[in-house]
Amino acid sequence: MFIINCPFCGERDQSEFSAGGEAHIIRPKQPTELSDDEWADFLFMRKNIKGIQFERWYHAHGCRKWFNVVRDTSNDKIHAVYKMGEKPPIK
Amino acid sequence: MLSINYPKIENKSYPNLELSLIEPMHKLNLRGKNREFFTKVGKQLSIMLPVESNTSATIKNISALWLSPDEWLIYGKDVDKNLELSLNKEISNLNIGSITDVSDQWVIINMKGENVFEILSKGSPFNFNEFKKSKNVVAQTLLNHIDVIIHNQDTNNINLLVRKSFSEHLWLWINDSSSFL
Repeated sequence: MFIINCPFCGERDQSEFSAGGEAHIIRPKQPTELSDDEWADFLFMRKNIKGIQFERWYHAHGCRKWFNVVRDTSNDKIHAVYKMGEKPPIK
Repeated sequence: MLSINYPKIENKSYPNLELSLIEPMHKLNLRGKNREFFTKVGKQLSIMLPVESNTSATIKNISALWLSPDEWLIYGKDVDKNLELSLNKEISNLNIGSITDVSDQWVIINMKGENVFEILSKGSPFNFNEFKKSKNVVAQTLLNHIDVIIHNQDTNNINLLVRKSFSEHLWLWINDSSSFL
């Protein structure tokens, strides 16, 4: 269990949120030109890093807004939270 | 379909806690972003929608609760069908925002007394330490795993908004928890 600082509502318990998977996955501009393998890569393949990962989270039981989180998956420490469309504050 | 008599809630009293149902009450959900939306709502309601997160604005018999950066809930004795129609005419019909009647979706339970936050803290992950000291603040959170909107209108006097289909279950939980006070 950990606390997430929602960019809209402030600090809330993790139980109010839903994890939305890896962030910043860019949709191919021409999906019809992709091979089946490339399309499967885009849809299903994720990095699943042990360490700092860029993720999407959803405040399901609060403001119902999506946002991005930079989280260390090894210890659940949150390094940054930023809104959708913004650039990550950490590289 | 739920019966119009649902939920069956009777006013109850416990040590330093009074529970009552504030129904029927008209409730409207407002969604919009642009300046025109705020101006039109302000003119119709004579109230500025709160833009600061987790706050509410109350004037006379209308309360406007902040739900998200582009969503508000208004309720109160002066919120009625005529207000909804005029908001629809000025906002929804012109595609400036949207107005939805959610009167039958939400049930308002009023909780008064020194033990209000004692009960809420038992079943919610929300930290009420600062919340209970402030007036006109709003929190959307979980209570006994049920989505609720908590409107702190005055010291130890809150309105708890819960979805109608969950309301009886939550009411039973509140009563059960209150019996241990």
